[in-house]
Amino acid sequence: MLSDAPLNDHQLTLGLMPLNDAAPFVVAEQLGFFQEEGLSVTLKWQPSWAALRDDLQTGVLQGAQMLALMPLTSTLGLDGRATPVISAMTLNLGGNAITLSRALMTRLAEEGHVLDSSLGIACALGEHVRQRRQRGEAPLRLASVHPFSSHRYLLRYWLAAGGIDPDSQVDMRAVAPPLMAAQLASGILDGFCVGEPWNSLASAQGMGQVVAGSHDIWRFGQEKVLGVREDWAQQHPLAHQALIRSLLRACAWLDRPGNRQQAASWLHDEGLPEVPLSVIAHGLEDVDVEQSVEDYQQANAGWTIFHRYAANFPWRSHTRWYVSQMQRWGHLHGISEHDIAATLTRCVRPDLYRIAARSLGLVVPAVDERSEGNHPAPGG
Amino acid sequence: MPVTVLIVDVRSERSAALEQALLSAGFEVALRVDEREDLHALVELHQPDAVIIDADLPSRDTLEHLGQLGRRYPKPMIMLASEDAPDLVREAAGAGVSAYVVDHVMPAMVRTMVEVAITSFEAHRALKGELNRTQTTLVQRRSVDRAKALVMESRGLGEDAAYQYLRKTAMNRRLALHELADEMLKATRRTEGGCSGAGSSAGSGRH
Repeated sequence: MLSDAPLNDHQLTLGLMPLNDAAPFVVAEQLGFFQEEGLSVTLKWQPSWAALRDDLQTGVLQGAQMLALMPLTSTLGLDGRATPVISAMTLNLGGNAITLSRALMTRLAEEGHVLDSSLGIACALGEHVRQRRQRGEAPLRLASVHPFSSHRYLLRYWLAAGGIDPDSQVDMRAVAPPLMAAQLASGILDGFCVGEPWNSLASAQGMGQVVAGSHDIWRFGQEKVLGVREDWAQQHPLAHQALIRSLLRACAWLDRPGNRQQAASWLHDEGLPEVPLSVIAHGLEDVDVEQSVEDYQQANAGWTIFHRYAANFPWRSHTRWYVSQMQRWGHLHGISEHDIAATLTRCVRPDLYRIAARSLGLVVPAVDERSEGNHPAPGG
Repeated sequence: MPVTVLIVDVRSERSAALEQALLSAGFEVALRVDEREDLHALVELHQPDAVIIDADLPSRDTLEHLGQLGRRYPKPMIMLASEDAPDLVREAAGAGVSAYVVDHVMPAMVRTMVEVAITSFEAHRALKGELNRTQTTLVQRRSVDRAKALVMESRGLGEDAAYQYLRKTAMNRRLALHELADEMLKATRRTEGGCSGAGSSAGSGRH
């Protein structure tokens, strides 16, 4: 179906957010991978997920770093205006964390709670929330990012594990990543779930403490994906393949030992100038071969995997996990199970991933689904 | 009752000019806020009838979330697109919920801008609500039923088996069930003039 005819300076504008896991785009640009694949790419940093989504839906962008649920919710017409968006590649696993304000952590400690694991802290928070209500205090204000974000569902999962009903017992809102640390510092927020480097920044400034990471809640769970409009992918299959290949090479490079520091420096220069380089680098550190994964995870909750463990394969079961969380909280109310399943099949495209990965000589899974989330409870 | 507008902007000169223009056009300006304030709480407190926000501000995600909660929201939102983005403005104009306008807002246009945003938002919401819930589902269900009858007849299947066949075909072709049904019915109409019979092969295509 696809010819090997080389592309010649195919012009693309790609959207990305000021987050550590925008690294694959920055690396592909800096190392010339886009150019080698025949693409002439302009990277457009976005102020909010809403702006990124609008730009992709209206065609200002041809591709973007997206939240894993965005292709599905955009196609279903829940997010912005109904526009079929597909994803044929996962960009990373993990990378988020939950941070609570220093003041709140101090109160939990004063109340005599044992705060030695992510689940323990969730339970302590549950107890605190119940006492707060009895005392007639205002509910805690907790933020995640965009409505259809992994962060929202990770935070809800963690709260529920601590016995907290996120809909009635706390005040949940959305705040864009760059505003999180500042709002925690000014006391507008008591805690948040966001991607790196914003947890590390709140820690470094002494404003907050990281209490759980993506992997504590869903180990090796899907985080960002490459999203493109379906009609664009149909009209430009070669450019789409070239884009996936460029980003795959960048992801592989990021997981080779010793490269993360360089990536942090590029991220700092290109999209995160307001965050100190040391903070970005800390959040982006990879597991040390000397360390056990468990030790590492504890030291670096926002641990991000870009390529290992078949990270880039777009498992339908990954997106299905998020769907199950949306259903759990009633966020897919009124949409039939059949339409969800059909849309999921339409939006998540392992078939297109396989073509790109095989052309680079990578081994690819033969199946599209696997069992997800069957690990012990968070912090266990 | 006066129409209340909330302005979210970090450029105080522009938002001051906008506030003046809104006031002289007879609107009430609830508040001008920038990024340092608790927008979520302020919106819940003031419950404005419309929000004007710089399209380049991170706070948009906070407003989107309020929109998804669907209690006192969604509200019409007017985006000030600060760069030259005529395509974006034109494209987004059809989106209904949020309207983009270019940066340089003429005082004379302010009234129209807010009123058009509110009117098109209300129209869009009413349309979306009613059509989605009643009409669309009814029409979809009817076409699925007709497609099922078609498959039962042409393939000699029972009702359940015909439904399973439709489901599987729709999955394989990455279509919603009702989309597949519509396609099959259209193809039948083209070839048979509305008769049942050879429709299924024409409609289902390669799979």
